[in-house]
Parts: sequence; structure tokens; C-alpha cells
Amino acid sequence: MNVSLNWLATHLDLAGKSIQEIDNLFTFAGVEVEGIQVKGIASDKIVVAQIMEAVQHPNADRLKVTQVDAGEGSLRQIVCGARNYKVGDKVPCALPGAELPGGFTIGETKMRSVESKGMLCSSTEIGLPPGEDGLLILPEDSPIGRPVKELFESDVLLELEVTPNRPDLLSHRGMGRELATLLKTPFLPLEIPTRTTRVASASTIELRSPTACPLYTAVRISGVTVKESPAWLKQRLESIGLRPINNIVDVTNYVLHELGQPLHAFDAAKLNGGIVVRTANEGEAFIALDESEHVLVAEDLVISDSSGAALALAGVMGGLTSGVTETTTDILLESAYFTPQGIRRTSRRTALSSDSSYRFERGVDPAGVLPASALAVKLILELAGGTAEGTTQLAGEAPVLTQPVVLDAKKLDQLMGGSISLTDAEEILSRLGLSKLADGKWDVPSFRADLQRHIDLVEEIARVHGLDQVPSRFSGTFVPTSPVDAAYDADMAIRRSLASLGFHESQTIKLISDAQMVDALTLRPMQEGDIIRVKLPLSEDHAVMRPSIVPGLVATAARNVRLGTKSLRFFELGRVFRNQGGGKAKDLESDSLAIVLSGPVTAAGWSQTDRAADLYDLKAVIAALLPSTKVQLVPKDRPGFALGAEIQADGQGIGAFARLLPSRERELDLGGAVFVAELDLSKLRKLRAGISHAEPLPQFPGSARDAAMDLPATTANLEIEKAVAKVQQPLLVSFDCFDVFTDPTGEKLPADRKSVAYRFVYRAEDRTLKAEEVDAAHQGVLEALSKALPLKFR
Amino acid sequence: MKEQIDSIQSEALAAIAAADNERALDDARVAVLGKKGTLTLASAGIKDVPKEDKAAVGQLLNAARSAITTALEEKQAVLRNIADQAALAGIDLTLPARSVPTGSLHPLTILRDQAIGILRRMGFALAEGPEIEDEFHCFDALNTPSDHPARNEKDTFYFDSGKLLRTHTSTVQVRTMETQKPPIRIIAPGSAYRRDEIDATHLSVFNQLEGLYVAEDVSLPDLKGTLEYFFRELFGSDTELRFRPHFFPFTEPSFEIDVKLKVKGQEPRWIEVAGCGMVDPAVFEAIHKSRKDDLFDPEKVTGFAFGMGLDRLSMIRWGIKDIRLLIENDSRFLKQFA
Repeated sequence: MNVSLNWLATHLDLAGKSIQEIDNLFTFAGVEVEGIQVKGIASDKIVVAQIMEAVQHPNADRLKVTQVDAGEGSLRQIVCGARNYKVGDKVPCALPGAELPGGFTIGETKMRSVESKGMLCSSTEIGLPPGEDGLLILPEDSPIGRPVKELFESDVLLELEVTPNRPDLLSHRGMGRELATLLKTPFLPLEIPTRTTRVASASTIELRSPTACPLYTAVRISGVTVKESPAWLKQRLESIGLRPINNIVDVTNYVLHELGQPLHAFDAAKLNGGIVVRTANEGEAFIALDESEHVLVAEDLVISDSSGAALALAGVMGGLTSGVTETTTDILLESAYFTPQGIRRTSRRTALSSDSSYRFERGVDPAGVLPASALAVKLILELAGGTAEGTTQLAGEAPVLTQPVVLDAKKLDQLMGGSISLTDAEEILSRLGLSKLADGKWDVPSFRADLQRHIDLVEEIARVHGLDQVPSRFSGTFVPTSPVDAAYDADMAIRRSLASLGFHESQTIKLISDAQMVDALTLRPMQEGDIIRVKLPLSEDHAVMRPSIVPGLVATAARNVRLGTKSLRFFELGRVFRNQGGGKAKDLESDSLAIVLSGPVTAAGWSQTDRAADLYDLKAVIAALLPSTKVQLVPKDRPGFALGAEIQADGQGIGAFARLLPSRERELDLGGAVFVAELDLSKLRKLRAGISHAEPLPQFPGSARDAAMDLPATTANLEIEKAVAKVQQPLLVSFDCFDVFTDPTGEKLPADRKSVAYRFVYRAEDRTLKAEEVDAAHQGVLEALSKALPLKFR
Repeated sequence: MKEQIDSIQSEALAAIAAADNERALDDARVAVLGKKGTLTLASAGIKDVPKEDKAAVGQLLNAARSAITTALEEKQAVLRNIADQAALAGIDLTLPARSVPTGSLHPLTILRDQAIGILRRMGFALAEGPEIEDEFHCFDALNTPSDHPARNEKDTFYFDSGKLLRTHTSTVQVRTMETQKPPIRIIAPGSAYRRDEIDATHLSVFNQLEGLYVAEDVSLPDLKGTLEYFFRELFGSDTELRFRPHFFPFTEPSFEIDVKLKVKGQEPRWIEVAGCGMVDPAVFEAIHKSRKDDLFDPEKVTGFAFGMGLDRLSMIRWGIKDIRLLIENDSRFLKQFA
């Protein structure tokens, strides 16, 4: 809401208050100051000067050298390029030292080697609205030497954000009342004549929807002259950024911003019979003042006449044809109370919003309906002539929205921490316009319908008292660690591990596109019904709740490649979303870790050549996260991916692994193999929970035996591991592959064979093993291997 | 014999002195002390020495062996020292380092962890809730009127099921009070969603940190002390704060917190960092109804709640001008936080 400081000052004495003080005052009243515009001339050093002489500049065709009288006793020489003046005119003269808008300070200079001691100014140069081209010609009677700022009104425009609970502040009078309360300064009275009222006959005003419109009043004014408003009124409206239209419309706008009560003036000639306040017919057409066309629904409220035509969308906007025009002579002035919910609904649905709907949907003061009407009638008669009917026609009654509220002194003291006495608290309520009744009850003024409960009174007291008056307390209850705490700590440890392993933590948007779903590497495959889509996405790019973090990381990788990054190492932890069983189980959320790896593992440099990351690098990263478990990739086809595998830790599935399809890598210009993994965080947290018991160190040495196996090239290493594990040889403490040899040329080894070398370590807990014991155990392992796999030992 | 031993010794010492590398030194050692070395052979000759001279010759032999061995050891030490120095001499310490990939935590993680660390020291435990929420937990229980603009489909993401993406982490307040007993002292970091077009200052998915303290006799001084302490820990002990009265449906009284931002070369300015307030009794009433017990009877407990935008805080903290940097994951940006 825009507030003019000059206008505001008609309601309370603001003399001597700096803009900073006023800014603070609003801020601590709970009104956010979003902007401050100072209008008018700021500097004292811009004075009225009379041009006494103007001669051609010797060195510049377009410049003149003037002698001006700025009231200093002697003439001042100023070089000037304007052409719109004549000798004898009075113009603004910026003396040396004057600061012009934009932070420009005037000095004494030479222009083309002619001295110039100041500057003659145009209207915009001194901060006034644009006028005629060239210098601002001042009235002939302007006193020479007088600061020009004294000839023009200056003002401050405040752009304020009022919270939805305070509709009473949506006017200059309301804002003034609040400031007067906070400043403890008198709230200046406003002279509004009271008008007599009478209950309107049903043929004059028919209220068909008393819930949506409990009170409707109208005054007929005949014989008005619609014309331009006087300067003071235009200036008031312009000071808050409104465009003056004509005296009638301007008065209604003025009263709205003065008192907060929206009014509407109908051209009485266009009214057929009386006013009917009714709900719209389903599908009824309405063309608003702004020429927008609307199809109404049954919950919209319209003002119509006896003929049934909708003249206005109640409280929101007038109709195109029923408004006041230059030819209007008789008007009907509406002032009413419309229920907020209905106005809000209609305004939102029709996307029509106005200063009027803004106030009605927040709630106007029911007791303000008649005074606003009376003030408008008075102003219209003054500015447009005509005669008003003697009494205001009234239908329905003003709703009572407030009720006495109890202030509980004990609770107040508890909440405020004893920082305010009851007397001071009561004084604040009184200043806010509440009056004390018996039994701790307070009567609430009609414009403060937001004060309904004890806590609402406490809020007022706390707000006016100020939180800086409240002491700070530094204490609290002890609470135990929660499971979420444990998960958080586990996740932070994972994050730090991955950062130490050279990965950058990413944060991608949890809403992804349907097109990105090809990159989704969910732990379990998805069916169509498992995808969760938002109803009204902002764009196709953000339409699906991500069921996997991999699509985000793939996009991150692609983006970084475009930016010239070669080494792609990113990870992200976060929530993923899906349905299960084709939509049978809905809205499942779980936490996931995704990693993407591509590009050189080591950057080439003076000491090393680079090597492109392969799947074993990512496997190593996963293994590094789970140092106390055996990590294995168990091949499992993933449609849409290459090298799909389930990630297992000690045989338990904990995630999915894959390489992007080479065709997808090319499509995204990724420039090489991209490996991705997505892991179930809840499982990872458990597996990383740490040990509960430390193993004693072995007391006796172990013995190693190597074995080289000649196998079909297609036999997976996993088969060897499985076969060895199956033996369950108690003396075998570890076995590790240390060489894999293949020869595609077939020279040293047939091309379809490979040689795999393993080292087996045997040890007993209670003794040093004899060579024969080790050999026997090893022999058992080798025999089991030969039985299980088509291999020869070399 | 004495002359022979003397000459062996002097020849050996000369050979040792002449050796200019460990190999030559070893040759010299073998030549005198090896199986067929001169001194070894001479020692073997002692059996032919007359009995009365044996002791004296033995002494001479031992003296020679000792002198040669000492010379060998000394020379070896000298040669090794020279070799060590040579090995270290040519090394250019100023060549660039080999590359080890260095990773980084996301700035949001760094800031969130710091915030959580401070609040945990103050005795808050973590809590969480779903991001796909229902209207009850997101709005109804938080005293939000049924026609509040936040419920609008233009401002909030809905699903066909009627569920929605939570618009704030305050939902966790409700979730926690439904399942736990007072006293409650929790914080809940998490994502929230609003239908805002993404630009330099808005994200449709953003990160918040929620806090809630409910017990008997929680008061405004608790709220003030907690948040003052928090922001001074986060931004420095001389941080200036102000509590501006504000309005939220679920707290009353409500405040917004500004801190005075002081950036070199700029006018200090107040910048909004959080919203807070005393839990509105209507929220306790909703919990009361939902739980069907009187643990959260507003006559018995009071509480305060606060919420802050972590994206915004990290922008303030590191002077980040465009919020989109936080979701674009440009490695040049992320590397700065390594």
C-alpha cells in the first residue's frame, strides 16, 4: 500500500520526525517498509534567480552566457544551453555546492573557457516531474533568492506491506491512528457530518444474500457536474500513484484511501429501478470496468437493478456500462460491507483485483460504512454540486465482528517473562482503542476484528511494548538424541568421506522432467503408476517427483562438460519419491545416495598421464564407504543402461549400479563412459554403524599360497568367490585376486581363456600352522574350485 | 710377518681411501676381508707361526682387522652420505603437485551443519517429516484459514490425490507433536516447495530449518534468548539483531528477525533472516483434537517456533548474488567450498 507522508500528517503531528524515525516506527508496528521515495526538491542551494542578460558564448554556437540575479547583491555569470527563456524570466538556479538528484554536486567551472558559477535548471534536474523542455520558468512573482523548494510541495511516498491480519491499517486514517498510538501523540479528529438513515424499502435496495452482504447503503445525489477535480484532490491521489479521473470517481478513491472503506458510484440514469444485491446466475456474463469479460458462477455476488442486469461485481469491480461518465448528472453512491470470503473467492477466480477487493477480502470496519458514505457525499456536493437526498438508504445491519476479550494477567506475565506490568499492559490496550470492562474483559473497537482471543491481546501488548524490552533467557530442557539425529550424523560422515574421495556434493531440484526419467536408476524398477507427477507443474522440466537422484546428477555432469570440466565426480544425498506396485502403495519417500563418475581419474601432468575412470573406480568408492563389508556388483540387467548391476554388501542388496548407454552418453555429449550408482541410504547407515566389539589381533603367523587358474574368459570372478566361499575352510582367512591375464591375440593364451591368479592366506587362531596343514587346506580349496568351475591350474 | 700385516693394512686402507663408491668399497672389503682376502689368508697363516709368537701376531692381526673395519665403516658412512646428498640434490620442490582429486561439501550442507551444530549445543534434537504432505499437516493444524492464498493451486504444488508438496517445514511441528510428548525441543531441516518461477532470488524447491520448543512455561524471553544466541553464533558475537512484529497464522505474537549486514564498502543494512513466534494456541488445539489427549492443552503448555531459509542464509553468508548457483552445481562454484 502506498502512503503519502503529507496526507498521513493530516491525521497526526509528524513534525520533526525524520524519514528514518518514521521508517523505524512502521517497522516496529509490524508494517514492512518496502520502499521510500522522496519527492520534491531536496537542496536549499537551489534558489529563484532572474535572468538579467544573455549573450552568445564566444566559443560555442549552442551556449549563451547569462548574468543572473540570485539575490546575492551582485550578478552571477552562468553558461546555459537552454533556449526556452527570455531575459527577465525567473528560473531555478543551483548555486555551487547544491546537490542535485543523482548525487551530482554543482561547482564553479569554465565552459569552453568562459566562467560559469552555477547551473540554471529544468524541472527534472531539480527532482520535479517533467515539464516543458528547457529551463523551468517560475511564476513572475517568485521572490528572488528564495530556495525553490519552498515554492513546491515536497512529500515522501512510503510503500508499505501490511500483514493480512491488519486491514484497519489499509488507509491513511488507520495508519495515522496506529502511529499516534505508538508515538503517544494525539490522533487528530476528523470532521465527518452524520447523516440520518432510514431502512430502504425492498424496491429501493433488496438484499437477497445477507450472508455475503449484511449491510448495504446508498445515497442518491442529483444534478452533479462531472468535471476535473480540484488541484488538492488530484495532488492527493497523485501523491500515492493514482491517476485522477473525474471529481466523482476521485472522491470515492480519496475516501477509500482516507478511511479504508471502498465506495462505488453508479450513474443513476443507467439504473433500472432499485438495487438488488444477489448471487450471480451460473454462467451469467459480466464485462468489468477494465473491459475484461467474465462468466460468473453462483457463488459470485453482483449488484444488479430491478431489470436483473449485473451492474457491478460486488466489492470487486464496477461494470463497464453503469459507471460515472462526463454526461452523468445523477449518481447513486454505494457504501457496503461485503463478507471477506466471498470477495476473496470471486477476486481469485476472476483474477480481478482492485483497491476495493483488496480491502473487502481482508475485512473492512462495519462501523465505517456510514461515515465513509457521509464524507463522500459532503465532498461530492462541494466539488460537483447537486443535491443529495436527505437520508441514507440502508438495508441489512452492520455485522458485529468483535466481542469482549479477557486479558489473563497471569498468562500475560508468563509469556512476557515478567517484562511488563499489568498497568503498562492495560495502558497499551487503552491506547489501541480498547476499553476495560469488568472481570478482566476488554471491549474491542469495531475496526479491530483481528482481536478475538486472549493471545491476540498479548500480541498487541508485546508488539507495542517491543521485544527489545523483553529480557533474553538462555536455558532449555535436555532432550535425548533422536533417530533422525543418528541418521543425520551418519549422512554427514558419508558426505565427508565422499568429499575426501574427491567428489563434489551437488544439490539438484527434486522435480524433474519426464524426459529425464530415462536416467532414473531406482533401486527397484518402476512401472508407469509408480511415477508421482504434480498436477500443475511450473514447466515440463519440473513435472515429476524424482524417484532417483541419478537423473539430476547426469544433468549436472552434462552441464559441467558443457562448461569445460573434464573430471566429473559428483554425489548427492536426499529424498526420492515413488509409488510402489504400479501405484498400489502411494507417496513413498526414502533417502538415497547417488554418485556419478566420469572422465580422467588422475589429471595428466608432468608426472603422470591421465587414465579414464572405469567401473572399478566407482566400485572402489562404494567399497571405501563400506570398509568393513565385502562390496560386490552382481550383474542385473537394467533396461536403458549398460553394465547394470545390483550393489551388494556382504550379499545384501543396497543399491543399483550402471553405466549410461553409450548412445545416451553421446546424446548428452558426455565425452566418455559415465558410471552411476544409487544406494539406499537407510541400509548404508546401518552398514556403517560401526563395530560393537573389537577383534583381538592374531597371535600366530599365517601362510600364503598362490594359485593361477586358466578359465573361460566369460567366467565371472564372482563365480570363483562363490566357489571358494562354499568350501567354508576354517583356516582360510582371506583370498585376493592379484592378477588377471588375457591375450586377445591368442599367442600366450587362447583368446577365449583367461588366467586369474589368487593368493590364499591360511591361519589358525591357536597355533602356527605346519606346512602340511596349510597344503592340505589349500588342496581342499583348489579341488572345490576345479569341481565348481571349468578351470585348470597353471 | 709384521711387515706383511703392515703392508696388508696399508694397502687395504689405501684401497678404502681410493674407493669412490659403495661398489668399489665393497671390492676393497672383499680383497682384504673376503674368503680369499689378504687379511683372511694372513690370519689363516697363523697356524704356521711359532707358538711363542702366536699371541703377538694374533694381536697384530686383530689390530689390523679392527683398523680396516673401522676405515670401511667410516668410508661407507661418508659414501652413503654423499650418495644421499646426490639423490636429494636434483629435486625441484617447486614443480607442481601431483593431482589428487579434491571434493567438497555443498555450501548449503556446510551452513546447515553449522546451524544444526549450534542448535544441538543448545539441546535441540533433529526431527523430520514427509515432503508429500496433506492439507491437515501443512495448513489446517497450523491455523491457516481455508481460503488462505497459500492453499491456492497457483502457489502450491498439488497432486491428483489431494496431497501437496509441503510449503514449509512447519509441518514437522505438527508431526512431532502428534507422536511425542512435551517437553519437545526439535529442529527440522528440510525442503519446502512453492510454485515460484525460478529466478535469481527464487527457487521452487528451497531449504528451510524449523525449530520448535514446547514445554511448561516457555516464554518470549526464551524465544529471544535462543535466537539471539543462535544468530550470534552463526554470524559472529557482535551481530546486531532486531525482532520486527509480523504475522504468521501459526504463531502469536509473531516476529521477523533482521540482522545488520555489514559488508565492506557498503552501507550496513538490515536483512531478514528468520520468522518466529510463540505457538498459537489454535495449533495446540488442533494437536489436542488430533491426539485425543490433553498433553498439549494450551492451558498447560506454551512454546515457540522459528523457521529460516537456508538458501537465503548461505547467500548472505558467502555474498552469493544468484540463488541458482546453489542448484546448478557448477564445479567451479563448488570447488570454492573444498
